[in-house]
Amino acid sequence: MKKVINKPENYVIEMLEGLYIAHPDLITYTDNDPHCLVSVNKKEGKVGIATGGGSGHLPLFLGYVGKGMLDGCSVGDVFQSPSAEQMLAVTKEINHGAGVLYIYGNYNGDIFNFDMAAEMADMEENIRVESIVAGEDVASAGPSAPGESNKRRGVAGIVFVFKCAGAAADAMLDLDSVKRVAQKAADNVRTMGVALTPCTVPRVGKPGFEIAEDEMEIGMGIHGETGIRKGKLETADQIVEEMLEKVVKDLPYERGDKVAVLINGLGATTLDEQYIVTRKVDEFLKGKGIGVHRYYVGEYVTSLEMAGFSISLLKLDEELTHYLDAPAQTPFFVQL
Amino acid sequence: MDRLFFVRYLDELQKIMSENREYLIDLDFVVGDGDLGLTMSDGFLAAYQAGKDYPETDIGKMLYSAGKAMSSAVPSTMGTLMASGLMEAGKVLKGKTEIENEDIATFFMAYEEGVMNRGKAKVGEKTFLDGLDPAVEAMKASFAEGDELSVVAQKAVRAAREGFEKTTTMIAVHGRAATRGEASRSLKDPGAAVALLMMIALQKTV
Repeated sequence: MKKVINKPENYVIEMLEGLYIAHPDLITYTDNDPHCLVSVNKKEGKVGIATGGGSGHLPLFLGYVGKGMLDGCSVGDVFQSPSAEQMLAVTKEINHGAGVLYIYGNYNGDIFNFDMAAEMADMEENIRVESIVAGEDVASAGPSAPGESNKRRGVAGIVFVFKCAGAAADAMLDLDSVKRVAQKAADNVRTMGVALTPCTVPRVGKPGFEIAEDEMEIGMGIHGETGIRKGKLETADQIVEEMLEKVVKDLPYERGDKVAVLINGLGATTLDEQYIVTRKVDEFLKGKGIGVHRYYVGEYVTSLEMAGFSISLLKLDEELTHYLDAPAQTPFFVQL
Repeated sequence: MDRLFFVRYLDELQKIMSENREYLIDLDFVVGDGDLGLTMSDGFLAAYQAGKDYPETDIGKMLYSAGKAMSSAVPSTMGTLMASGLMEAGKVLKGKTEIENEDIATFFMAYEEGVMNRGKAKVGEKTFLDGLDPAVEAMKASFAEGDELSVVAQKAVRAAREGFEKTTTMIAVHGRAATRGEASRSLKDPGAAVALLMMIALQKTV
């Protein structure tokens, strides 16, 4: 393991300390627990939006708390859910009389704890909570049949859900309306990723899985979950083509559609490479007659020092375009 | 019996999970990420401490607070499920300061209900429930026959053990084991092992 750290067991808490030092104008914490992060910006009567999950994915989740996006967030140890009590502490702090919306990824540990927190908020605090579980990784499972629960993992596409829901809440929509906007964004986003190298959880000290030096794994999850194909590393253009063929077919995104694109680095893939990917993504989408409203390129949801990237598409209508374009200011997401 | 019965039971639970820490880690390493031994021993220890120190005599509230302490200590999948069981049992027994023998069955029925509601799993899907459910059924039948408590516990242990061993005939549909499909069938389910340990702890308590 080669990381710039002190003691592995202090990895999360020391990361949090640094974050509060760097962004005192935007974020603070509640309940005397740095794992329970909240926005310093409060608006009476606004729906509160909270997320949470394991650490190791910065800028997800903490980095999207601020103006125009999320109001609070709880994080656990690396790749581990925070506790329901921590989520409850955040929920209490960000409820400004209009209820709270949870938006989080489709993982059992997170679901169990957010469900428990929602029950506690209702029973102990009388706070109305609604939830959106985002799962849009097309490589992780097939599409769910009507009435069947979504089995797909939640990955980088959740940032679009945060952005649209955050802007809707900022426009003072009520809880049901903010939830509807969030659900619409979640329903219209699809993602696929590729991993080139594994990642190491600091307290474990060695990689949880292997990828050979000359290989890649298409569809690997952001905790190293098995993908759909292992093979020799190919060119950027070939990889993008394989991924986008599957993503575009899935929703499907069709000729004449307008989308937002998120090219996301997983931690160790350079911006240079991400822009090489962007170039091919644009060529591919143009070929399909799909219009791009705007690009986001950079690290949005990482997996420690994993090399690789993901591509997310969000199909836009007038309403989602409006909320996507609204201004926001968080430690990692600034849009004027 | 008063709340001290459940304090003693929580104590037996934390002891047995701690004694079987390595066993659970080994079972879990095959199908999951191997942290089950840690989460169960740390989690039930937190539950025991919260239950022991709970200032009121209400058994339900004591169990609810033990469950909350467990959920804070070990927010992993299995930790949260076990905490949900304790909390549901707490809701059902709320208001009681004394219990009858039959309330022990009520406790485990509520525990099972709490785990089912949280995890959305059913019996037969190779989980904790496949150890607990047969034990709860055996317990109910044994109480109906008028057996004394030690016999009830003995029958519950036997049923849980059979249930645990039967998990090697099931395909996993939940958690990481599910990604193995048919290959998961021959593996013993670590969750069902926890259910068996819970019944052995009951036998030691009564």
